[in-house]
Amino acid sequence: MSQEKCYSDEFLNAFVDDQIAAEEKSRAYIEFGQNEALNRQVCELRKLHDLVQLAYREPPTPPERAASGPSVRRARLRFAVAASVLLTLGILLGGLIRLPGPATTPQANTAPTVAPHRVVAAPHKAMAMTTAARKTNVAVAPAPERVPIASVAGAQSALAIPAAAAPATPVLVVAQSTSPGSVQAKVLVHLARDDAALLSQALDDIEGLLKHYRATHQTARVEVVVNGKGLELVRIDTSAFAARIQRLQRDYDNLTFAACQNTIDRLAREQGIIVRLLPGVITIDSGMAEIMRRQNQGWTYLQV
Amino acid sequence: MELLDFFLRSREAQRALQQARARLYRVAYSWCHSAALADDLVQETLTKALRKSAQLRDPKARDAWLFTILANCYRDHFRRLREMEDIDEIEISHEATPETESSSAEIVSLVRAAIARLPQAQRQVVTLVDLEGFSYVEVTQILDVPIGTVMSRLCRARNAMRTMLLPDMQQHAVVNPSLPNIRRVK
Repeated sequence: MSQEKCYSDEFLNAFVDDQIAAEEKSRAYIEFGQNEALNRQVCELRKLHDLVQLAYREPPTPPERAASGPSVRRARLRFAVAASVLLTLGILLGGLIRLPGPATTPQANTAPTVAPHRVVAAPHKAMAMTTAARKTNVAVAPAPERVPIASVAGAQSALAIPAAAAPATPVLVVAQSTSPGSVQAKVLVHLARDDAALLSQALDDIEGLLKHYRATHQTARVEVVVNGKGLELVRIDTSAFAARIQRLQRDYDNLTFAACQNTIDRLAREQGIIVRLLPGVITIDSGMAEIMRRQNQGWTYLQV
Repeated sequence: MELLDFFLRSREAQRALQQARARLYRVAYSWCHSAALADDLVQETLTKALRKSAQLRDPKARDAWLFTILANCYRDHFRRLREMEDIDEIEISHEATPETESSSAEIVSLVRAAIARLPQAQRQVVTLVDLEGFSYVEVTQILDVPIGTVMSRLCRARNAMRTMLLPDMQQHAVVNPSLPNIRRVK
Protein backbone atom coordinates (compact mmCIF):
# COMPACT_ATOMS: atom_id res chain seq x y z
CA MET A 1 0.00 0.00 0.00
CA SER A 2 1.42 3.34 -0.98
CA GLN A 3 1.91 6.23 1.44
CA GLU A 4 -0.69 8.32 -0.36
CA LYS A 5 -3.30 5.78 0.56
CA CYS A 6 -2.22 5.85 4.19
CA TYR A 7 -3.40 9.44 4.59
CA SER A 8 -7.01 10.20 3.81
CA ASP A 9 -8.16 13.54 2.51
CA GLU A 10 -9.74 14.22 5.90
CA PHE A 11 -6.38 13.66 7.57
CA LEU A 12 -4.60 15.98 5.16
CA ASN A 13 -7.19 18.67 5.78
CA ALA A 14 -6.85 18.21 9.53
CA PHE A 15 -3.08 18.43 9.12
CA VAL A 16 -3.36 21.73 7.24
CA ASP A 17 -5.87 23.08 9.76
CA ASP A 18 -3.67 22.06 12.70
CA GLN A 19 -6.31 19.78 14.15
CA ILE A 20 -4.12 16.76 14.89
CA ALA A 21 -1.84 16.00 17.79
CA ALA A 22 1.72 17.32 17.71
CA GLU A 23 3.29 13.88 17.78
CA GLU A 24 1.24 12.70 14.83
CA LYS A 25 1.92 15.92 13.00
CA SER A 26 5.69 15.59 13.35
CA ARG A 27 5.55 12.05 12.02
CA ALA A 28 3.46 13.21 9.08
CA TYR A 29 5.96 15.98 8.35
CA ILE A 30 8.73 13.43 7.91
CA GLU A 31 6.69 11.26 5.58
CA PHE A 32 5.40 14.19 3.54
CA GLY A 33 8.99 15.28 2.99
CA GLN A 34 9.74 11.93 1.43
CA ASN A 35 6.63 11.85 -0.80
CA GLU A 36 6.30 14.43 -3.53
CA ALA A 37 2.62 13.72 -4.25
CA LEU A 38 1.56 14.10 -0.60
CA ASN A 39 3.67 17.19 -0.32
CA ARG A 40 1.94 18.68 -3.34
CA GLN A 41 -1.50 17.86 -1.93
CA VAL A 42 -0.69 19.59 1.33
CA CYS A 43 0.63 22.58 -0.55
CA GLU A 44 -2.55 22.82 -2.58
CA LEU A 45 -4.69 22.66 0.52
CA ARG A 46 -2.65 25.43 2.12
CA LYS A 47 -2.93 27.42 -1.04
CA LEU A 48 -6.70 27.07 -0.97
CA HIS A 49 -6.71 28.14 2.66
CA ASP A 50 -4.76 31.27 1.77
CA LEU A 51 -6.95 31.96 -1.25
CA VAL A 52 -10.11 31.89 0.86
CA GLN A 53 -8.58 34.35 3.30
CA LEU A 54 -7.43 36.56 0.43
CA ALA A 55 -10.86 36.51 -1.20
CA TYR A 56 -12.61 37.88 1.88
CA ARG A 57 -9.93 40.07 3.32
CA GLU A 58 -11.81 43.14 2.20
CA PRO A 59 -15.46 42.35 1.72
CA PRO A 60 -17.56 45.06 0.07
CA THR A 61 -18.84 47.78 2.32
CA PRO A 62 -22.42 47.14 3.36
CA PRO A 63 -24.98 49.53 1.93
CA GLU A 64 -26.16 52.41 4.04
CA ARG A 65 -28.47 50.92 6.57
CA ALA A 66 -32.05 52.00 6.64
CA ALA A 67 -31.56 52.56 10.33
CA SER A 68 -29.77 55.77 9.53
CA GLY A 69 -32.86 57.05 7.78
CA PRO A 70 -36.24 58.00 9.12
CA SER A 71 -36.18 55.77 12.20
CA VAL A 72 -32.94 57.27 13.38
CA ARG A 73 -34.24 60.72 12.64
CA ARG A 74 -37.37 59.92 14.61
CA ALA A 75 -35.28 58.63 17.50
CA ARG A 76 -33.17 61.76 17.44
CA LEU A 77 -36.30 63.90 17.33
CA ARG A 78 -37.74 62.06 20.32
CA PHE A 79 -34.49 62.53 22.16
CA ALA A 80 -34.45 66.22 21.37
CA VAL A 81 -38.05 66.66 22.51
CA ALA A 82 -37.41 64.78 25.73
CA ALA A 83 -34.29 66.83 26.41
CA SER A 84 -36.19 70.06 25.78
CA VAL A 85 -39.01 69.07 28.13
CA LEU A 86 -36.54 68.10 30.83
CA LEU A 87 -34.66 71.37 30.41
CA THR A 88 -37.85 73.39 30.65
CA LEU A 89 -38.97 71.52 33.74
CA GLY A 90 -35.57 72.06 35.30
CA ILE A 91 -35.70 75.79 34.67
CA LEU A 92 -39.24 76.07 36.06
CA LEU A 93 -38.38 74.02 39.12
CA GLY A 94 -35.26 76.05 39.71
CA GLY A 95 -37.26 79.26 39.48
CA LEU A 96 -39.88 77.97 41.90
CA ILE A 97 -37.26 76.93 44.41
CA ARG A 98 -35.58 80.32 44.29
CA LEU A 99 -38.82 82.28 44.66
CA PRO A 100 -39.38 83.38 48.27
CA GLY A 101 -42.85 82.50 49.49
CA PRO A 102 -44.79 82.65 52.73
CA ALA A 103 -44.82 78.90 53.02
CA THR A 104 -41.04 78.82 53.12
CA THR A 105 -40.59 81.42 55.85
CA PRO A 106 -39.27 80.15 59.15
CA GLN A 107 -42.37 81.22 60.96
CA ALA A 108 -44.57 79.27 58.62
CA ASN A 109 -42.41 76.24 59.09
CA THR A 110 -43.29 76.06 62.74
CA ALA A 111 -46.99 76.44 62.22
CA PRO A 112 -47.85 72.92 61.01
CA THR A 113 -47.04 71.43 64.40
CA VAL A 114 -49.93 73.34 65.89
CA ALA A 115 -52.37 74.02 63.10
CA PRO A 116 -51.43 72.60 59.71
CA HIS A 117 -54.34 74.33 57.98
CA ARG A 118 -52.75 77.65 58.82
CA VAL A 119 -49.44 77.04 57.15
CA VAL A 120 -50.17 79.42 54.36
CA ALA A 121 -51.19 82.14 56.74
CA ALA A 122 -49.54 85.51 56.73
CA PRO A 123 -46.31 85.86 58.67
CA HIS A 124 -47.87 87.63 61.62
CA LYS A 125 -50.29 84.79 62.15
CA ALA A 126 -47.58 82.23 61.90
CA MET A 127 -45.69 84.32 64.38
CA ALA A 128 -48.56 84.20 66.79
CA MET A 129 -48.68 80.47 66.50
CA THR A 130 -44.99 80.30 67.13
CA THR A 131 -45.36 82.34 70.26
CA ALA A 132 -48.09 80.05 71.41
CA ALA A 133 -45.94 77.08 70.71
CA ARG A 134 -43.13 78.54 72.71
CA LYS A 135 -45.36 79.24 75.67
CA THR A 136 -46.72 75.76 75.74
CA ASN A 137 -43.46 74.05 74.78
CA VAL A 138 -45.01 72.44 71.72
CA ALA A 139 -42.38 73.61 69.24
CA VAL A 140 -41.79 70.14 67.87
CA ALA A 141 -40.35 71.24 64.55
CA PRO A 142 -38.53 74.49 65.16
CA ALA A 143 -37.54 76.73 62.32
CA PRO A 144 -33.83 77.45 61.87
CA GLU A 145 -33.96 80.65 63.78
CA ARG A 146 -36.11 79.05 66.44
CA VAL A 147 -33.71 76.26 67.20
CA PRO A 148 -31.95 78.14 69.99
CA ILE A 149 -35.28 78.85 71.59
CA ALA A 150 -36.17 75.21 71.66
CA SER A 151 -32.83 74.39 73.13
CA VAL A 152 -33.23 77.20 75.59
CA ALA A 153 -36.47 75.71 76.73
CA GLY A 154 -34.46 72.76 77.92
CA ALA A 155 -31.88 75.00 79.49
CA GLN A 156 -34.60 76.89 81.22
CA SER A 157 -35.63 73.82 83.10
CA ALA A 158 -32.09 73.46 84.36
CA LEU A 159 -31.18 77.04 85.08
CA ALA A 160 -34.17 79.31 84.99
CA ILE A 161 -36.75 77.26 86.76
CA PRO A 162 -40.22 78.81 86.52
CA ALA A 163 -42.09 79.07 89.78
CA ALA A 164 -45.03 77.30 88.23
CA ALA A 165 -45.91 75.89 84.89
CA ALA A 166 -47.17 78.41 82.40
CA PRO A 167 -50.91 78.22 81.88
CA ALA A 168 -51.25 76.61 78.52
CA THR A 169 -54.92 77.08 77.89
CA PRO A 170 -55.11 80.88 78.04
CA VAL A 171 -52.13 81.22 75.71
CA LEU A 172 -53.64 78.87 73.19
CA VAL A 173 -56.84 80.85 73.39
CA VAL A 174 -54.81 83.90 72.49
CA ALA A 175 -53.33 82.26 69.45
CA GLN A 176 -56.64 80.89 68.28
CA SER A 177 -58.60 84.03 68.94
CA THR A 178 -56.13 86.17 67.08
CA SER A 179 -57.03 85.88 63.52
CA PRO A 180 -54.22 86.69 61.13
CA GLY A 181 -55.88 89.49 59.34
CA SER A 182 -57.17 91.24 62.43
CA VAL A 183 -53.94 92.00 64.28
CA GLN A 184 -53.72 95.71 63.92
CA ALA A 185 -50.86 96.52 66.30
CA LYS A 186 -47.69 94.71 67.22
CA VAL A 187 -45.61 96.38 69.87
CA LEU A 188 -42.33 95.26 71.34
CA VAL A 189 -41.26 96.89 74.60
CA HIS A 190 -37.59 96.56 75.48
CA LEU A 191 -36.57 96.67 79.14
CA ALA A 192 -32.87 96.63 79.95
CA ARG A 193 -32.71 98.61 83.22
CA ASP A 194 -33.60 97.83 86.80
CA ASP A 195 -34.74 101.23 87.91
CA ALA A 196 -37.89 100.50 89.91
CA ALA A 197 -39.54 103.80 89.10
CA LEU A 198 -38.77 103.35 85.47
CA LEU A 199 -40.11 99.82 85.46
CA SER A 200 -43.25 100.90 87.22
CA GLN A 201 -43.73 103.63 84.69
CA ALA A 202 -43.13 101.14 81.91
CA LEU A 203 -45.72 98.75 83.30
CA ASP A 204 -48.16 101.61 83.54
CA ASP A 205 -47.54 102.50 79.94
CA ILE A 206 -47.94 98.90 78.83
CA GLU A 207 -51.20 98.50 80.72
CA GLY A 208 -52.43 101.77 79.32
CA LEU A 209 -51.57 100.64 75.86
CA LEU A 210 -53.41 97.35 76.30
CA LYS A 211 -56.42 99.13 77.71
CA HIS A 212 -56.45 101.48 74.78
CA TYR A 213 -56.41 98.63 72.29
CA ARG A 214 -59.13 96.83 74.16
CA ALA A 215 -61.25 99.94 74.39
CA THR A 216 -60.91 100.66 70.74
CA HIS A 217 -61.57 97.01 69.88
CA GLN A 218 -58.23 96.66 68.17
CA THR A 219 -56.46 93.39 68.21
CA ALA A 220 -52.91 93.86 69.31
CA ARG A 221 -49.94 91.94 70.53
CA VAL A 222 -47.51 93.30 73.03
CA GLU A 223 -44.26 91.57 73.82
CA VAL A 224 -42.02 92.75 76.63
CA VAL A 225 -38.44 91.70 76.09
CA VAL A 226 -36.20 91.88 79.14
CA ASN A 227 -32.46 91.48 79.14
CA GLY A 228 -29.49 92.73 81.05
CA LYS A 229 -30.53 94.38 84.29
CA GLY A 230 -34.10 94.41 83.09
CA LEU A 231 -34.23 90.70 83.81
CA GLU A 232 -34.79 91.49 87.47
CA LEU A 233 -38.31 92.51 86.57
CA VAL A 234 -39.27 88.91 85.85
CA ARG A 235 -37.15 87.07 88.41
CA ILE A 236 -39.03 85.61 91.33
CA ASP A 237 -36.40 86.57 93.81
CA THR A 238 -35.87 90.12 92.63
CA SER A 239 -39.05 91.30 90.96
CA ALA A 240 -40.84 94.09 92.72
CA PHE A 241 -43.80 93.72 90.41
CA ALA A 242 -44.48 89.99 90.43
CA ALA A 243 -48.11 90.33 91.40
CA ARG A 244 -48.72 93.04 88.88
CA ILE A 245 -47.08 91.12 86.09
CA GLN A 246 -49.17 88.04 86.86
CA ARG A 247 -52.29 90.16 86.94
CA LEU A 248 -51.45 91.74 83.61
CA GLN A 249 -50.86 88.36 82.07
CA ARG A 250 -54.14 87.12 83.44
CA ASP A 251 -56.08 90.14 82.24
CA TYR A 252 -54.44 90.47 78.84
CA ASP A 253 -53.80 87.29 76.99
CA ASN A 254 -52.13 89.23 74.16
CA LEU A 255 -49.29 90.27 76.46
CA THR A 256 -46.05 88.28 76.57
CA PHE A 257 -43.01 88.61 78.77
CA ALA A 258 -39.84 87.20 77.20
CA ALA A 259 -36.57 86.85 79.07
CA CYS A 260 -33.18 86.75 77.38
CA GLN A 261 -31.51 83.37 77.80
CA ASN A 262 -28.09 84.90 77.20
CA THR A 263 -28.57 87.05 80.29
CA ILE A 264 -29.74 84.06 82.29
CA ASP A 265 -26.70 82.09 81.22
CA ARG A 266 -24.38 84.96 81.98
CA LEU A 267 -25.79 85.32 85.48
CA ALA A 268 -25.28 81.63 86.08
CA ARG A 269 -21.79 81.70 84.65
CA GLU A 270 -20.47 84.90 86.20
CA GLN A 271 -22.41 85.22 89.42
CA GLY A 272 -23.61 81.69 90.02
CA ILE A 273 -27.22 82.82 90.12
CA ILE A 274 -29.79 80.24 89.13
CA VAL A 275 -32.51 82.37 87.69
CA ARG A 276 -36.12 81.47 88.44
CA LEU A 277 -38.63 83.28 86.32
CA LEU A 278 -42.16 84.32 87.13
CA PRO A 279 -44.92 82.04 85.89
CA GLY A 280 -45.81 82.60 82.25
CA VAL A 281 -42.54 84.27 81.35
CA ILE A 282 -40.97 82.64 78.36
CA THR A 283 -37.32 82.59 77.38
CA ILE A 284 -35.83 83.58 74.08
CA ASP A 285 -32.38 82.84 72.80
CA SER A 286 -31.24 86.44 72.68
CA GLY A 287 -33.02 89.66 73.54
CA MET A 288 -31.24 91.61 70.83
CA ALA A 289 -31.92 88.96 68.24
CA GLU A 290 -35.58 88.93 69.18
CA ILE A 291 -35.77 92.68 68.79
CA MET A 292 -34.25 92.49 65.35
CA ARG A 293 -36.55 89.67 64.30
CA ARG A 294 -39.63 91.49 65.46
CA GLN A 295 -38.59 94.68 63.74
CA ASN A 296 -38.08 92.78 60.55
CA GLN A 297 -41.58 91.43 60.98
CA GLY A 298 -43.02 94.90 61.23
CA TRP A 299 -43.35 95.27 64.97
CA THR A 300 -43.18 98.64 66.65
CA TYR A 301 -40.14 98.94 68.90
CA LEU A 302 -40.33 100.87 72.17
CA GLN A 303 -37.33 101.13 74.44
CA VAL A 304 -37.86 101.94 78.06
CA MET B 1 -19.49 47.07 43.76
CA GLU B 2 -21.70 44.41 42.24
CA LEU B 3 -23.54 47.10 40.33
CA LEU B 4 -20.23 48.50 39.10
CA ASP B 5 -19.09 45.04 38.03
CA PHE B 6 -22.35 44.57 36.22
CA PHE B 7 -21.90 47.79 34.24
CA LEU B 8 -18.28 47.00 33.50
CA ARG B 9 -19.19 43.56 32.27
CA SER B 10 -21.96 45.04 30.19
CA ARG B 11 -19.60 47.61 28.66
CA GLU B 12 -17.03 44.94 27.98
CA ALA B 13 -19.61 42.74 26.32
CA GLN B 14 -20.79 45.61 24.12
CA ARG B 15 -17.21 46.41 23.13
CA ALA B 16 -16.58 42.76 22.27
CA LEU B 17 -19.72 42.65 20.15
CA GLN B 18 -18.64 45.79 18.33
CA GLN B 19 -15.25 44.30 17.60
CA ALA B 20 -16.80 41.07 16.36
CA ARG B 21 -19.00 42.89 13.91
CA ALA B 22 -16.43 43.01 11.09
CA ARG B 23 -15.62 39.33 11.46
CA LEU B 24 -19.25 38.37 11.49
CA TYR B 25 -19.86 40.43 8.41
CA ARG B 26 -16.96 38.86 6.57
CA VAL B 27 -18.22 35.34 7.24
CA ALA B 28 -21.81 36.30 6.53
CA TYR B 29 -20.78 37.80 3.23
CA SER B 30 -18.83 34.67 2.34
CA TRP B 31 -22.00 32.68 2.94
CA CYS B 32 -24.48 34.75 0.99
CA HIS B 33 -22.31 36.99 -1.25
CA SER B 34 -24.74 39.83 -0.77
CA ALA B 35 -23.51 42.84 1.14
CA ALA B 36 -27.01 43.92 2.11
CA LEU B 37 -28.08 40.48 3.27
CA ALA B 38 -24.82 39.96 5.13
CA ASP B 39 -25.26 43.25 6.91
CA ASP B 40 -28.83 42.35 7.84
CA LEU B 41 -27.70 38.99 9.16
CA VAL B 42 -24.99 40.59 11.27
CA GLN B 43 -27.41 43.17 12.58
CA GLU B 44 -29.87 40.47 13.54
CA THR B 45 -27.08 38.44 15.10
CA LEU B 46 -25.88 41.32 17.25
CA THR B 47 -29.41 42.19 18.27
CA LYS B 48 -30.02 38.65 19.44
CA ALA B 49 -26.63 38.54 21.13
CA LEU B 50 -27.36 41.69 23.08
CA ARG B 51 -30.77 40.41 24.07
CA LYS B 52 -29.45 37.03 25.16
CA SER B 53 -26.13 38.20 26.55
CA ALA B 54 -27.06 36.77 29.95
CA GLN B 55 -26.96 33.28 28.44
CA LEU B 56 -23.24 33.56 27.77
CA ARG B 57 -21.58 32.00 30.80
CA ASP B 58 -17.99 31.80 29.55
CA PRO B 59 -16.68 34.95 27.83
CA LYS B 60 -13.98 32.86 26.14
CA ALA B 61 -16.68 31.08 24.18
CA ARG B 62 -18.12 34.37 22.94
CA ASP B 63 -16.84 33.95 19.37
CA ALA B 64 -18.31 30.48 18.90
CA TRP B 65 -21.53 31.69 20.53
CA LEU B 66 -21.78 34.66 18.17
CA PHE B 67 -21.18 32.58 15.07
CA THR B 68 -23.73 30.07 16.29
CA ILE B 69 -26.29 32.86 16.39
CA LEU B 70 -25.17 33.96 12.94
CA ALA B 71 -25.59 30.43 11.57
CA ASN B 72 -29.05 30.24 13.08
CA CYS B 73 -30.00 33.60 11.60
CA TYR B 74 -28.72 32.46 8.23
CA ARG B 75 -30.67 29.24 8.44
CA ASP B 76 -33.81 31.05 9.53
CA HIS B 77 -33.45 33.45 6.64
CA PHE B 78 -33.51 30.67 4.08
CA ARG B 79 -36.26 28.86 5.91
CA ARG B 80 -38.39 31.94 5.54
CA LEU B 81 -37.61 32.11 1.84
CA ARG B 82 -37.93 28.46 0.85
CA GLU B 83 -39.47 26.35 3.50
CA MET B 84 -39.65 23.15 1.47
CA GLU B 85 -36.04 22.95 0.35
CA ASP B 86 -33.20 21.38 2.23
CA ILE B 87 -30.89 24.26 2.87
CA ASP B 88 -27.86 22.00 2.91
CA GLU B 89 -28.34 21.38 -0.78
CA ILE B 90 -28.91 24.93 -1.85
CA GLU B 91 -26.34 26.32 -4.24
CA ILE B 92 -26.12 29.98 -4.92
CA SER B 93 -26.37 30.32 -8.63
CA HIS B 94 -23.38 31.68 -10.36
CA GLU B 95 -25.29 34.62 -11.75
CA ALA B 96 -26.48 35.59 -8.30
CA THR B 97 -22.98 36.25 -7.08
CA PRO B 98 -21.70 39.79 -7.18
CA GLU B 99 -18.70 38.63 -9.12
CA THR B 100 -19.49 37.12 -12.47
CA GLU B 101 -17.42 35.40 -15.13
CA SER B 102 -16.60 38.73 -16.66
CA SER B 103 -14.39 39.51 -13.68
CA SER B 104 -12.88 36.06 -13.44
CA ALA B 105 -9.50 37.45 -14.32
CA GLU B 106 -9.13 38.50 -10.75
CA ILE B 107 -8.21 35.85 -8.27
CA VAL B 108 -10.49 37.25 -5.62
CA SER B 109 -13.46 37.03 -7.91
CA LEU B 110 -12.47 33.51 -8.90
CA VAL B 111 -12.27 32.35 -5.33
CA ARG B 112 -15.52 34.03 -4.37
CA ALA B 113 -17.24 32.52 -7.34
CA ALA B 114 -15.89 29.10 -6.45
CA ILE B 115 -17.10 29.37 -2.89
CA ALA B 116 -20.44 30.62 -4.11
CA ARG B 117 -20.82 27.48 -6.15
CA LEU B 118 -20.35 25.29 -3.12
CA PRO B 119 -23.38 23.88 -1.36
CA GLN B 120 -24.31 26.04 1.57
CA ALA B 121 -23.33 23.49 4.21
CA GLN B 122 -19.86 23.08 2.72
CA ARG B 123 -19.51 26.81 2.26
CA GLN B 124 -20.24 27.44 5.91
CA VAL B 125 -17.70 24.91 7.09
CA VAL B 126 -14.88 26.05 4.84
CA THR B 127 -15.37 29.73 5.65
CA LEU B 128 -15.58 29.15 9.38
CA VAL B 129 -12.37 27.15 9.32
CA ASP B 130 -10.40 29.22 6.83
CA LEU B 131 -11.61 32.72 7.62
CA GLU B 132 -12.11 32.57 11.36
CA GLY B 133 -9.77 29.72 12.21
CA PHE B 134 -12.32 27.83 14.26
CA SER B 135 -11.39 24.33 15.31
CA TYR B 136 -13.46 21.44 14.07
CA VAL B 137 -14.98 21.05 17.52
CA GLU B 138 -16.07 24.68 17.54
CA VAL B 139 -17.61 24.29 14.10
CA THR B 140 -19.63 21.33 15.33
CA GLN B 141 -21.02 23.55 18.07
CA ILE B 142 -21.71 26.44 15.75
CA LEU B 143 -23.46 24.43 13.06
CA ASP B 144 -24.80 21.76 15.39
CA VAL B 145 -23.53 18.84 13.30
CA PRO B 146 -21.24 15.89 14.21
CA ILE B 147 -17.50 16.34 13.83
CA GLY B 148 -17.37 13.64 11.15
CA THR B 149 -19.83 15.67 9.10
CA VAL B 150 -17.68 18.74 9.53
CA MET B 151 -14.58 16.92 8.30
CA SER B 152 -16.34 15.36 5.34
CA ARG B 153 -17.95 18.62 4.30
CA LEU B 154 -14.63 20.41 4.55
CA CYS B 155 -12.95 17.72 2.54
CA ARG B 156 -15.53 17.83 -0.21
CA ALA B 157 -15.53 21.61 -0.28
CA ARG B 158 -11.78 21.83 -0.72
CA ASN B 159 -11.74 19.13 -3.35
CA ALA B 160 -14.37 21.02 -5.28
CA MET B 161 -12.50 24.28 -4.91
CA ARG B 162 -9.29 22.67 -6.03
CA THR B 163 -11.04 21.39 -9.10
CA MET B 164 -12.56 24.76 -9.85
CA LEU B 165 -9.72 27.07 -8.95
CA LEU B 166 -6.35 25.50 -9.58
CA PRO B 167 -6.77 24.75 -13.30
CA ASP B 168 -8.18 28.22 -13.84
CA MET B 169 -5.29 29.79 -12.03
CA GLN B 170 -2.78 27.74 -14.02
CA GLN B 171 -4.54 28.84 -17.15
CA HIS B 172 -4.48 32.40 -15.94
CA ALA B 173 -0.72 32.10 -15.44
CA VAL B 174 -0.27 30.84 -18.96
CA VAL B 175 -2.23 33.76 -20.40
CA ASN B 176 0.83 35.97 -20.09
CA PRO B 177 3.67 33.92 -21.58
CA SER B 178 5.67 37.03 -22.26
CA LEU B 179 6.28 37.52 -18.53
CA PRO B 180 9.67 36.13 -17.56
CA ASN B 181 9.73 33.34 -15.06
CA ILE B 182 12.79 34.84 -13.40
CA ARG B 183 12.36 38.33 -12.05
CA ARG B 184 14.94 40.65 -10.75
CA VAL B 185 14.11 41.28 -7.13
CA LYS B 186 16.80 43.76 -6.28
